Amino acid sequence: MQVEKFYYDNKIVRNFAYATVVWGAVGMLVGLWVALQLVLPSALNITQYFTFGRLRPLHTNAVIFAFVGNGIFMGVYYSLQRLCKARMFSDKLSYIHFWGWQLIIVAAAITLPIGLTQGAEYAELIWPIDLAITVIWVIFGWNMFGTIIKRREKHLYVAIWFYIATFVTVAVLHLVRSGELPYTWLKSYSFYAGVQDALVQWWYGHNAVAFFLTTPYLGLMYYFMPKAANRPVYSYRLSIIHFWSLIFLYIWAGPHHLLYTALPNWAQSLGVVFSLMLIFPSWGGMINGLLTLRGAWDRVRDDVILKFMVVAVTAYGMATFEGPMLSLKSVSAVAHYTDWIVAHVHIGALGWNGMLTFGILYWILPRMFKTELYSKKIANWHFWLGTLGILFWAIPMYWAGFTQSSMWKQFTDAGQLKYTFLETVTYLKPFYIMRSLGGTLFLVGVIFMIYNLYKTVKAGKLVANEEAEAAPLQKEHAKHEGEHWHRVIERKPIQFMIISLVVILIGGIIEIVPTFLIKSNVPTISSVKPYTPLELEGRDIYVREGCYTCHSQMIRPFRSETERYGEYSKAGEFVYDHPFQWGSKRTGPDLAREGVGNLKKTNGWHFRHFREPSSMSEGSVMPAYPFLLENDLDISNTEAKINAMRTLGVPYEKGYEKSAVADLVLQSSVIANNLVGDSIRISPKKEVIALIAYIQRLGVDISKNKTATFNK
Amino acid sequence: MYKFIKQYAETMKDASIYPMISLFIFLIFFIVLLVLVKKMGKERVTELSNIPFEEDELTNSNLIN
Repeated sequence: MQVEKFYYDNKIVRNFAYATVVWGAVGMLVGLWVALQLVLPSALNITQYFTFGRLRPLHTNAVIFAFVGNGIFMGVYYSLQRLCKARMFSDKLSYIHFWGWQLIIVAAAITLPIGLTQGAEYAELIWPIDLAITVIWVIFGWNMFGTIIKRREKHLYVAIWFYIATFVTVAVLHLVRSGELPYTWLKSYSFYAGVQDALVQWWYGHNAVAFFLTTPYLGLMYYFMPKAANRPVYSYRLSIIHFWSLIFLYIWAGPHHLLYTALPNWAQSLGVVFSLMLIFPSWGGMINGLLTLRGAWDRVRDDVILKFMVVAVTAYGMATFEGPMLSLKSVSAVAHYTDWIVAHVHIGALGWNGMLTFGILYWILPRMFKTELYSKKIANWHFWLGTLGILFWAIPMYWAGFTQSSMWKQFTDAGQLKYTFLETVTYLKPFYIMRSLGGTLFLVGVIFMIYNLYKTVKAGKLVANEEAEAAPLQKEHAKHEGEHWHRVIERKPIQFMIISLVVILIGGIIEIVPTFLIKSNVPTISSVKPYTPLELEGRDIYVREGCYTCHSQMIRPFRSETERYGEYSKAGEFVYDHPFQWGSKRTGPDLAREGVGNLKKTNGWHFRHFREPSSMSEGSVMPAYPFLLENDLDISNTEAKINAMRTLGVPYEKGYEKSAVADLVLQSSVIANNLVGDSIRISPKKEVIALIAYIQRLGVDISKNKTATFNK
Repeated sequence: MYKFIKQYAETMKDASIYPMISLFIFLIFFIVLLVLVKKMGKERVTELSNIPFEEDELTNSNLIN
């Protein structure tokens, strides 16, 4: 048969590779900065733009979507062309994809520090950026499917299935999570409220880990690991089982982030069962990756690329063992809200994503530049700095998490809590210092890599269009007699995508739909009322400042929590919370009952605390918010906000928006007058007044309803 | 149609049956998957797992090691 000559597009791969390296370094640098902010809060929380609450989302978004995102595209664009024996479908689409994605990242890097956020973890970006992500993601899919359709290889290799599943699932996740109602051209409220928003969030959040940080990287593993080891994958059959079981199971596991919360019990159990089963496909994949090195283990000693890959796959195995364990209710009771979870995700991010990305970079750049790696010795240094960095990062955090959790739960013989919350925070400082050292080691390794890759690229010349030859694909119209089912769908990418979509939708639908439809899931509490306009504005400041990155608003039904914070949280309390703000980490205490009971403080206390937290709580690691005392509250959108909330189902009376600002002004002046009694003179127009109003409202409604009975 | 589903779901008594149903669905899915994979021919499996290496034979750009 006549072979066709064609050219692989290496330029686009190189561009994504450079972006991976640059954004990786930036994301990790921001990570190091926020880690140090917990050690030196007053020195490093500089200006309103660089407080912990604004920078932490920047760190997570940069690492997930900029570093790993570009890493995915780099690996996919390299391997897809070769597995399909075809150039990418369209150079123009590749170009738009690349620059569109970088612009989205730049937009994120600008909007997050200036406080434009939706307040949902890993989905913080505002609605216009969400829209841009949708467009660019479609372009990526179009380019990918175009390439698959014009391929010269009949069958789709396992890596491509993972890419297809990634494409389709991320599209679904992004669309559902981005359900929001814009009220200005930059701001919006989530369609969902309270428990439902929480379920959507962690269905999304967990599957962002699954389908952005895991499945595409498994695809890369199935291509680059055999290539680097120069032998085929250990078991292709296992890879089929791995793929289908993994995408089927992953989508159900989200509720394990919400154990012991106000989420209905059945949904929690569902999450636990599926999370536990997830260990099997995950370990199947890990074993398949490691055993690909069968007979080549001696090479791991000398080949630095294989070393990176072995650590990556091992970290994957550790994280996917730990994940199901953490989803057990008894383990979650200890680990949730602590640094244990932070350690767990960093085993995944630094170990699995980081080390695999580095291995791939070292593998493809010399090949595309027709040269040798500049220095194996420096790469080896990078490997050891990276590996030790992960350990020095994770071990102190596991320790810190376990320690803090047990301190939270300790009682004296007299039956009182042994430690104040603040004591448990200040105790952790040495651990935070050690963690920062681990992060520094990891980052220094990355700087070594940048130098090494720079020298490599300098020494070679990019083969922008790499020549290749292959026979064209013969058109086949009928299935061969007795042909295996998987071979058939492997030839049909669109059908493959649809089946993947069906498989992931089963879990999504069974999990989410009942929570939305079954009334008994969210028992109503008659005393829970919508926020006043001032409280609503204050809540938006709470969201803007990323308070949820350190404070939860979800008290679990444990004695150690009800003693410390008050009555445990009920689903019906959050019905007007667009978005929900339960949080997932307690670097600071829970705030769900901050306005009532033992926790209630005066307005003056809050005022002074926002101005300088350590003046009220010595040793506090919270940033100071002096700018809240200086900035005037923006009330130009109050009316639009009330209207938007009403559209979303919050029962503000018709026409209330007209008198909302008047109510806001009245309530502000009451608070400002009250502050005068505390020797504080401040204009009622300042932002801090709104935030105080919101904080003082927390927990108030339910305290008025002592006689009501609640369904669990 | 939607109203009918909504009314049915709102009044559904025991949502805790969901985890059991889900487990059952997965079990069926998994068993079918195992059987189908088991039936794959050995030579085809080998052929498929060698796809990443075919480019090295077919292209002029053999850069492997």
